[in-house]
Parts: sequence; C-alpha cells; structure tokens
Amino acid sequence: MNYEQAKNVALRNGEQVVPTVCGMCGPGGPGGGCGIYAFVKDGRFVRVSGMDESPVNRGGVCAKGHAAPQWVYSPERLTHPLRRVGKKGQGRFEQISWEAAIEHIADTLARQKAKYGAESLAILSPAKRAYSEYLQRFLTVHGSPNYGHSGICVMQRAFAFMYTLGDWPRPDYEQGDLIIYWGRQPIFSGPVARPARAFLSARQRGARIVAIKPSVEPDAGMADIWVPVRPGTDAALALAMLHVVIGENLIDQAFVDTWCYGFKRLKSHVKQYTPEWARQICGVDSGQIVQLARWYATTPRAVIDIGNGLEHAPSASDAIRAIAMLMAVTGHLDRPGTNLFVPAPRAAPRGVALKERYDKDLIDKLVGPEFPSIFQPFLEGPSSAYYRILESVVTEHPYPIRAIIAPGTQPSVSTRGTKTVLAALQKLDFFVTVDVARTAEMNFADVVVPVATSYESGHPYHMAPGWLMATNRVIEPLGEYKSTFQFFLELADAMGYGNDFWGGDIDAAMDDLLEPLDLSMAELMSKPHGIAGKPGPPTYEKYQQTFSRLSPAIGHAPFLPQGKIALYNTTFEAAGFNPLPAWREPPESLTATPELADTYPLILSDYHTSKSFSASWQRNVPHLREIEPEPILHIHPDTATERGIQENDWIRVSSLHGFMKVRARLYHGIRPDTVMVLHGWWQGCKELGLDDYPLADGGANVNVMYSVDQEKAYDPLITAMSSQTLVQVERWEDR
Amino acid sequence: MGQTGMEYLIRFEAERCIQCHGCETACKSWRGLEPGVRYRRVFNIWHGQYPLITSSSLSLSCLHCVEPSCAAACPEGAIFKEPEYGMVHVDEAACSGCGVCVEACGYGVPQITGDGVMRKCDVCIDHEAAGEAIEVPPCVDTCPGTALILERVDRSEKVRHERLIQKLYGETRSV
Repeated sequence: MNYEQAKNVALRNGEQVVPTVCGMCGPGGPGGGCGIYAFVKDGRFVRVSGMDESPVNRGGVCAKGHAAPQWVYSPERLTHPLRRVGKKGQGRFEQISWEAAIEHIADTLARQKAKYGAESLAILSPAKRAYSEYLQRFLTVHGSPNYGHSGICVMQRAFAFMYTLGDWPRPDYEQGDLIIYWGRQPIFSGPVARPARAFLSARQRGARIVAIKPSVEPDAGMADIWVPVRPGTDAALALAMLHVVIGENLIDQAFVDTWCYGFKRLKSHVKQYTPEWARQICGVDSGQIVQLARWYATTPRAVIDIGNGLEHAPSASDAIRAIAMLMAVTGHLDRPGTNLFVPAPRAAPRGVALKERYDKDLIDKLVGPEFPSIFQPFLEGPSSAYYRILESVVTEHPYPIRAIIAPGTQPSVSTRGTKTVLAALQKLDFFVTVDVARTAEMNFADVVVPVATSYESGHPYHMAPGWLMATNRVIEPLGEYKSTFQFFLELADAMGYGNDFWGGDIDAAMDDLLEPLDLSMAELMSKPHGIAGKPGPPTYEKYQQTFSRLSPAIGHAPFLPQGKIALYNTTFEAAGFNPLPAWREPPESLTATPELADTYPLILSDYHTSKSFSASWQRNVPHLREIEPEPILHIHPDTATERGIQENDWIRVSSLHGFMKVRARLYHGIRPDTVMVLHGWWQGCKELGLDDYPLADGGANVNVMYSVDQEKAYDPLITAMSSQTLVQVERWEDR
Repeated sequence: MGQTGMEYLIRFEAERCIQCHGCETACKSWRGLEPGVRYRRVFNIWHGQYPLITSSSLSLSCLHCVEPSCAAACPEGAIFKEPEYGMVHVDEAACSGCGVCVEACGYGVPQITGDGVMRKCDVCIDHEAAGEAIEVPPCVDTCPGTALILERVDRSEKVRHERLIQKLYGETRSV
C-alpha cells in the first residue's frame, strides 16, 4: 500500500505507522532492502505492509517480511548479555550488563593481541549484511586480516568474473529474448524484489526461459526448458557448450578479434570437451547440450544469470570462467539484451572499510586466504575462508586463531565440516556470539551478546540501486542490548580505536558517511519513503574502460593485463594456476568414485535458499515454520519406491562422512539419481512444540555429509567448498 | 444490494504466482490467526514426468461459491450466502464446530479454530465491519506478481473462475 493508505489504516486502528526497511533477509541487510510500513499498537510491533513507493519491492512483501513481528517477539530472543560460567557446551551462563560485556571482550582481545598478535582475532562474516563493512573496519584497525568470508557465496562469482571480464556483468532481463538461469533461484532469493518480477515479466513478454539446476523449484517449473544438471558439474556443461559454440563457429569473430586474448589456445583446449564427454559427467543429454549452446550463440539478445548454485564445487571457478567466456566469444556483452557492464552509482555514501590501510604485511598474516594472497585484498578487503579459520584452531596451521566473533552467523550450521567446527569451538580460547536470538553454538560462547533487530535500531541507511532509505526504528529495544553496529563501535572505542570509530557514536557515523551526498541522517529520516533515483540512460559497449580496470590487490595490477578478455589467463598462469578452465571432480561423484556407487548410489546436494527462511535463521518463527515444518529430502518417487520409502517417512541419509535423519518428500521434479535437502536446519520452534535437531550425526544438518579434504573439497582459486557427495537413503530404523 | 448480482471475488492467476507464500503469511499476520489455522494455502502442482516436467502454483482461500456446499450441509444453518457482496458468511454464534462443512467443502477451506468455531476467509469484509481497518485484503496487497486481484464480478464469471480453481485444486492432489 502507499503511505496515505498506511496512515489511514494506522489512524483508524489507533496505531502508529513507521516507514522503514525490512530486516528479515540477508543481502541488503540486515534486510533484503524492501520498503515496508510497520504498524505499532500500544508500543508493540504488530504487522507489516509493503511500501508501494519503494522501487525495490513496489508494495510486495514475502512470507518472511510478514513474519517479522513473530521473529522480534520470539521466546528465543535474548534480552541480556551473558558470560559463560559452566563448561563449554553446557549452557550455564550468568547475566552481565552491556558495558561489562564490552569491557570483558575488549580486555580479552587486547591481552590476546599483546600475546599472540592482532591476527589471532577472526570475525566470521554472515551473508552480506549492512554491517559487514564495519567488521572489516574493526579488523583493519585492530590489525587482523582475518575476515571470515563464507567461501561459498558471491565473491566466488565476482572473482572469476573480474579476472576474466573485468566486471561482473548483470543480465539485461528487460530486453533478453533468451534468459538462462544457471544454478540461480530468482524467486526465493528475494521473492518480491526485482529478479523475481523480472522473471515474471520476461515470461509475459514471451522470452524463452531456460533453468539449469538439479531440481525443479517454482522458477524452473515455470521455465520453458529445464536442464537437469547433476550437482557440481556445471563446469563440464559450460566447457561442452564452449566446444559446440567454437567448434561450429557460432562466434562473434569481430568481437573475439578485437577484445579477447588467447582465443586460439581456448579453441584447441575445448576440443576435448565434447557433449558426449559432458553427458557422462553432468547427466544432461548431449543433444540438449548442443541445442542449448546453439540457442545461446545464435540468439542476438541472450543473457545468462548465474547463481550461488555454481559456487559450491571444486570446479566452481572453471564453471564461472567458462560461462564468462561463452558470453565473450558470442559477443553477448554490454549490448542490449545481453549481460551488461553496469557502472557504479556516481554518488554514494562514504565507504566504511579502510581500504587505504591494506598492505602486504596485513595480507601476509591471513590464516587461510579465501583467494590466493597474491590476489588479496579482493573487492571486500582481505579475507580468510570461514571454514579455514575454524580449521586453524584445530590444526594450529599456519597458526591458531585465538578469538572468534560470530555476528549473525552460526558456524556449526553455516559452513561445511561441522565436526571440525565443533572441535574448534571446544578448543578455542575465546568465542563471542553476537545475534538477535539463541544460536546453534551459543553454549560454546564465552560471551553472548544479544543485539537489536533492525526494527529496534534506527540505523543504518539502506542503499539499493536507485533507492536510499533510512532504517527507521519501529519499537524500542526489548532488552538490554543495542545494534550490531553499536556493538562494534563501542567495542572499538573501549579498545582505544575511537578515533577511527566516530568516538563510538553511531549517529555521528551515519552523518559522516552520508556527507558525500550532502545529506544528514535526520534529513533522510524525514523522507517517509526515502530518496528514489532515476537510472541514467543505458550505455553500451564500454569495453575499453571495463577491460582496463585495476584490481584492488596490493600493487593494483589490472584485472586484465592485455586490456582484453582473458580467455587464456596469464595472470593465473604466472601465479601457478591453470590459465584455461578445466574440469575437476567433486570429492565423491558417480564419475569420480564409481567404486563408492554400490554403497552410496545417489548424489546429495543442498539448497541454500528457501521461501521460508534466511539461511540457518528463523526456524523459530511459527508463521514460517508452518510453511516448512520439518527438514525434508527431495527424492524422486521412483528412487523412493525402490527403497520402500513413502511420502513423509523418516529416512536415514548416509555418506562416507556422516548421516542425517530427515523426512522424505516424494518429488517429481528432481533427477532420479540425486537427492536434495535445505541447509541450515538445527533450531526448534517452541510455539509449535518442535524440538532442536542434533548439530552433528543424526540431525538434519547437511554440512556433516560432505568431505572437507584439503586436497579435494576446494576450488583452488576461489575456495568454493564442495556440497556434493554420494549417499544411500533408507527408511529410518532406530538402531 | 449495491450492484445487483455482482459478487466479490479474489481472482487467482496462476501465470503470475511465484509460490512465495507471501499471501498466506500476510493473512495469518493481519488476521492474527492461531498456529494451524490457514485461511489461505499455497500449493505446488506438477505437470508431466521427469525429465519433461514443469510446475505451477495455486493460492487458495474460500471461493465464496455461487452455490456453497458448506452452507447446504450445515446442520445449524450457520453458513449462508450474504446478499450484498456474495460472501459466504459464518454466524459464529450459531456455529457448533461440528465440522460437517469441512467434509462438504470441495477445497478444504473451513478451519475449526481453537474455540470450536468454523472460520475462514471473509475477504476481510467482516473484519473491516468489526472495526479493524485493512484497506485492501493483505493477500492481495502483498502479492509481488499481482496473481491475486480483488474484483466484483457477475455470477457467471464467478462460476467460471470457480471451475478453473476446481481444476487446479484437483491437480494439487493428483500426485
């Protein structure tokens, strides 16, 4: 509804209406950045409606957005900081004040810094949130490079794209006649936001839509063509498409001649990757591979939108690079209806990260570089892979991390290798959790810092393309806590870093950061639906400037040393990596480890988005939990029937590495050789009488199922931990 | 009767539904529904078989049928077709919670709530009449694809929509 309607509803109901930004999902965060009207009755946040005026969601709100009041008032919320008094894992805490918590953490970090060096502190990054840059800033000032990025999301695509094309080209959904969603979920990742609406409008325009993924979700279900690829084999598919496009000479010769480097070497390299070769690996009919390659190459307005599904395999960088090369050799770049180079906004708030302070000394201290050190810092600053940080606690290699802060992230369910994670948390010197509610591994924390939801904060501003909006405070905090932003500002101030942290004053921070826009936070807050900007007219074929960009790595070498697209990558070659994209098997697969197939005949992978929850959060919210009450495994009915499994049976899913207890969902839209489960299950829902699940074996945490073998489970360039393995599925018998 | 023969309808257009469940949750939140009570439900529908398989969605609430079988079956006479908007109305005082309507409805719509009364979608009209402002039914207001549209239509159009939904609902249960 619009603001007038919202005010009218509030007036008639004796409520207040607060225009703000939704805080329920990750990307713009905390919050996907949808505009909402929040209604408050007698001081209580009661419900939400979508803000028509927001260009992000134009009045739409998803299930998560509407469930916000239940999340805010959940019995799982924490109201006071806690200090552990019992043994780790036991769950015995004493209540302490906010100030005492800050002081205790500051003292401990200062002592550890003096004894072990600043790099002994790591902060685990959640999915990209509005506070992510503040974590980077804190670490930089403290002197540690160990920002624990997931190693499985977004930056993996960014890295492979930037070092191949000099940019991450965005799909022109509005003008494409062929739209290929590849490992992408345009709906659940933000059902009311632009990608979902673009999906619908493209269908209505009559664009041909192709979905490449192992199972059918509502997006693939509404596509014209589903390409049922085996999990983790996208690189093989993309390489075979390159084989067809180049072999059949369906390329844009003029573009290749002018703007691509190393075409001849790519051409001879991809001769080996025939569609028949790819069929055996990725399970897609070779005729379909040929047809898809031809369609893409010969449709002048064709886009590829790749998603997080491609970032979870040892060949993830190769898959993304090969797809970037498909765009390049067919000339589908920065032309109408293709993948576009979208310039950064001319005016933006001041950056929070202190990029000018990054130097080689800092980079050299990375405990487990997410990208090889020579390519650090990357776009978001220096980063260690999330899992490698935890692993270092156990292996003490190259040195042990001594303190971990986990703000809005749950290591035992968010990353692979749960057993290593739990061992690390048992051994770790100092562990601080910072979250709005009880977390999976809270009982291992030395200090538990509860924080405000965005509905209780009053900051920050939210900037989406074409929209700047204040996150207005809906209600006062429900307990003795502040926001995640304030936690880091006040901790920094307590450690003597106040000069770099606005003296610990969040209001001063907001005004300072908005200053380049000639705007104060108070002025922004006075605008009930923020400031909407009009996009400039599109500009095309910005090749020269895009291909000459400098990287953020120390020394600022250009992303593309030849000033051309790197089909043959001399930068990677010089650093000891493969200059051409190749195929690497997952640790276990039907083609890599056929000897396992007798015992474990099915491929397992997992979904990272769902319509109901944000990652491993929000299973405690009744409205959402009613949509997906229990962890279910998608299994084809034929595969289930062979095993005597019926709908909703409890089943045991076992791999070489662990086992899960979940329910069977007989699912017609999945490859019969593959089963899939949603990741992030651990939490119960008190209101619905649902208990927690075990974090390790016998629970529903898919992370226990995968290999974390250092030699096999990672993409060598971009970390990208494997989320594929082989499993057996059988009816659950209590043993 | 305002417009003779014109009835309220929340039209569902399957082509525009992305199965986000926003409507279902908006309804629960705005109407303060207790756990387990669902005025609106979202379903997945399969078409075809692997690998040539597609899917679509259905968002379903009370259709306020032109000839409601729940009203015909109610032993208390607590369910009736309200004349002004064509709504199927429940007289909560007369409802015994016997559940005969649940069996009679072809769509699984009637919900017996904790206090033993049948409740269901009232197009938010009763709710407005009881003094709680809503403006637009939240299911309609929230839908990102405008798959739900509030309309007033004549009875023949309403019957046509009803048949379409009947077909889709049948398909939700076919596999």
